[in-house]
Amino acid sequence: MTLQIIVCVKAVPDPAQAGRIRIDPATRTLTRADVPLAFNPLDRNALEAALQIKEKSGARITVLSMGPSGAESIVRECLSLGADHGILLSDRAFAGADAYATSFTLARGIENIGKYDLILCGMASSDGATEWVGPQIASFLGIPAATQVEELTQADSQTLIVRSGMENGYRLMEIKLPALLTATRKLNRPRALSFSGIIKARKKQIVQWGLQDLGLAEDQVGQAASPTVVSAMTTRTARRQVEFIEGSIEEKAEILVQRLAQAGLI
Amino acid sequence: MTTKANCGPVWVVAEQVDGRIQNVSLQLVGKARQLADELDVPVEVVLLGQGMKDVVEPLFAAGADRVYLGDDPVLNWYHAETYTEMIVSLALKIQPEILLIGSTCTGRELAPLVAARLATGLTAHCIDLKINDQRILEQWIPAYGGLISIICPQKRPQMATVASGVFPLPDMDESRRGELVMLKAPEAVSGRIRTLEVVRREPETVALESASIVVAGGIGAGDEDGWRQISDLARILNAALGCTRPVVDAGWAGHETMIGQSGKMVSPELYLGIGLSGDLQHLIGVAGARVMAAVNKDARAPVFEQVDYGIVADCREFVPLLIEKIRAYRQSR
Amino acid sequence: MIDFTFTEEQEMFRKAAREFAENQVAPRVAEMEAAGKVSEAVVRALAEAEMMALTVPEPFGGLGLGYTARMIALEEISRISVATAMMLQVFALGIEPILKFGSEAQKQKYLPDLASGKRLATTAVTEATGGSDPTGIRTSYRKDGDDYIINGRKCFITNSHIADTLTILAKDENDPKAFSAFILEKGMPGFKATHEENKVGMRGCNTGELAFEDVRVSKEQLLFTEGKGLRVTMAAIGDVGRGGMVGCALGVQAACLEASVKFSRERILYGKPISQLPTIQSKLAEMKIDLEAGRLLAYRACAIQDKGQPSSNEFAVAKYFTTEAAQKAAKMAVDIHGGYGCMQEYAVSRYLRDAFVLGPSAGTSDIMKVIIARWVLS
Repeated sequence: MTLQIIVCVKAVPDPAQAGRIRIDPATRTLTRADVPLAFNPLDRNALEAALQIKEKSGARITVLSMGPSGAESIVRECLSLGADHGILLSDRAFAGADAYATSFTLARGIENIGKYDLILCGMASSDGATEWVGPQIASFLGIPAATQVEELTQADSQTLIVRSGMENGYRLMEIKLPALLTATRKLNRPRALSFSGIIKARKKQIVQWGLQDLGLAEDQVGQAASPTVVSAMTTRTARRQVEFIEGSIEEKAEILVQRLAQAGLI
Repeated sequence: MTTKANCGPVWVVAEQVDGRIQNVSLQLVGKARQLADELDVPVEVVLLGQGMKDVVEPLFAAGADRVYLGDDPVLNWYHAETYTEMIVSLALKIQPEILLIGSTCTGRELAPLVAARLATGLTAHCIDLKINDQRILEQWIPAYGGLISIICPQKRPQMATVASGVFPLPDMDESRRGELVMLKAPEAVSGRIRTLEVVRREPETVALESASIVVAGGIGAGDEDGWRQISDLARILNAALGCTRPVVDAGWAGHETMIGQSGKMVSPELYLGIGLSGDLQHLIGVAGARVMAAVNKDARAPVFEQVDYGIVADCREFVPLLIEKIRAYRQSR
Repeated sequence: MIDFTFTEEQEMFRKAAREFAENQVAPRVAEMEAAGKVSEAVVRALAEAEMMALTVPEPFGGLGLGYTARMIALEEISRISVATAMMLQVFALGIEPILKFGSEAQKQKYLPDLASGKRLATTAVTEATGGSDPTGIRTSYRKDGDDYIINGRKCFITNSHIADTLTILAKDENDPKAFSAFILEKGMPGFKATHEENKVGMRGCNTGELAFEDVRVSKEQLLFTEGKGLRVTMAAIGDVGRGGMVGCALGVQAACLEASVKFSRERILYGKPISQLPTIQSKLAEMKIDLEAGRLLAYRACAIQDKGQPSSNEFAVAKYFTTEAAQKAAKMAVDIHGGYGCMQEYAVSRYLRDAFVLGPSAGTSDIMKVIIARWVLS
């Protein structure tokens, strides 16, 4: 029986440019910077793990994302990398969701897909950086979760051996399917996009589901269903007056050593 | 215990490793004491492990009024489902107002599982916690080059994770006593996850938290060779070596050496930031340093707004020169 | 309305090509520069990434993506390594005559291996006495029963020493007006790659000379009709060869601009990054204007080419503009870098050397003007 794998991915503001989104000191709101969407880096490790299982023992990979319709390009990218099927949960009502509401909606999306053996997520998103979505999806689905996965092997068709990172070490676990895992960068080296993969993805379908497709009410999703809200913002001002050390690179090293020595630091 | 307040206690879910209570848990108990005093409610700690009866004293000394202890062989190793089940069933009974967990590897897994089951909000890696005038917990996190406060106005408990070192270790009052409540461990543990092995290595380097010099490297190191140069610099200075998240992502250093909001908080005499841009998430972890210097190729890098000495240079050229100059200085004395 | 935007798929091609260039090519640039040789690892990586298959139709094992996709790939690869882009562009130039003029048997025989990278291709026209004017060549053939016997030399041939399958142009020994194209294979008796050039730029691609001494080929190696060889090679060079140079030039322009933006933000002068100086800003703006204009010329010519219409005149304009602009951009980038611009460690010094090799490749700017003038006067 083919393993059914669902990979949850997120379109995030391009991490290379995300620094352009700042808090405006005057209005204390976010400056609207035109930052393009990108594939959340750790989700690519999650997808790679799924693709490796597919190559080794066969699997059908469905990619699931929640986001604006622009996030479809990220789902398409997953199909180009080798996923079989894509689903985008997109609805104006989903906007403003915190980790809890996001996890709930994604879990409902997974239930809507129906059968699954393994769910893979990136450990964290580069924008939210909470690490909550993976384990919370598992919680809503009532399946076990292992986070921070660094190594993954299949023991048999229904059991995985998983290594999770720990301070100065690791935990080795045996986990029964169905289960959810969150991927770290150490798990694998994601493959590159290929031209032929992009061509093959032409024939693959991306389905969009909205609120009604999931059988949810407006107050069960998005901001309305999010327990947390942002209550205030502040900008930090520089607390230190920097002295730039000038000169040739060698002089800079020399002067820095002098300064630190004078301050009794070295 | 009598209380005027109409809300529940402030909870800390403490963490033990090999029977030792972790520093972050004591720091959180200290913070919980402050929050609880403002709310006029007790501080309660949940601790799960094996052979812990004799080691709970520091929790009381740090400010706990009551400790719920699960002490059983099945609780020796962290087990996601068992731990979640025990904490959730107790929380449903006691109805805590606030629940704090350390941003450790297991804490970062346990916290979202508990929050989902309690249908409440959870804020990640807070750098400050305050009770506002509506008696609601403001949970401050760095974001977008500033700080934002997240609140959980309706649902309870208000949950947050906090990294080690964000709050100081409280003054320990050895004479403080509290109530120890034993929890019954489950008779059978779910077999869906089975821990086969837990491995911990002793770190070889100077501990970040106690080091008087911290050298932190960023992705500007370029590659593993560049990273080795930075670790050489740390060794020569007898400094602890820290890093930023991209370095962990690149695999040059372990997560345990990451400094910042979701890593370690340090307060050395001297901080040297090499090849890092100065994301607030990182700098928040070194705000307590006495003297700070940074090396970056880009004069506009935000790190230069937060340090005392700035050097605009390619760290790959600069670090070997700096090592040379430090050696020369030492020989000259 | 004309749609000037790339499709989502084309954007993804660009992303794929960029990732390929940054992950597979960039780590080997220094080695290629130092050795002045083709990196076998890069050739292998190009093959694995199906870069030789872009323009080959699917029935022959290719991707059938056409020329816009090819331009995108070349631009992104050249942004990292002009030499690699040059090598790749000439693979396509070697494939094109067989694709457009080959018999069904020739296509079946050669295209699948050329698409997979198992065999590498080039086209050889240029000689000491003619290139842009191919009628000046001296390499000749004569008929001997069903065979042809070829004699002569070729020079400045990109991929000369690495190519397995070569399309060459020769003239009839007995009829100086009759030119024919032949498919040669490495290892044919009498056929040798001889001198290998040591270029100042594009050091990671191979350029050299070919010698033919009584090379006997059967009539199966004749490409298209005897006597129509000029049409075969000129069509390939005019569209695919020139188009390829445009891709290489755009990559240089983009790389120069990026390096200049980065450096000018990092370099402090008078207490401020030099990017705040009007004179530097003027250079950055000029580079951007040329890059935007060059892209419009390039992709418009590709659009015509993808429709199957003649595009060699449009590519002559684009080739002139972008290679000149690349040279200009490289000089400005070096100027912005000051002393650093003269150091090997800074990529801009390589861009300058590479940019100057763009000029003569597939016809100098002066030749482009001749072609363009001929176009407007016709």
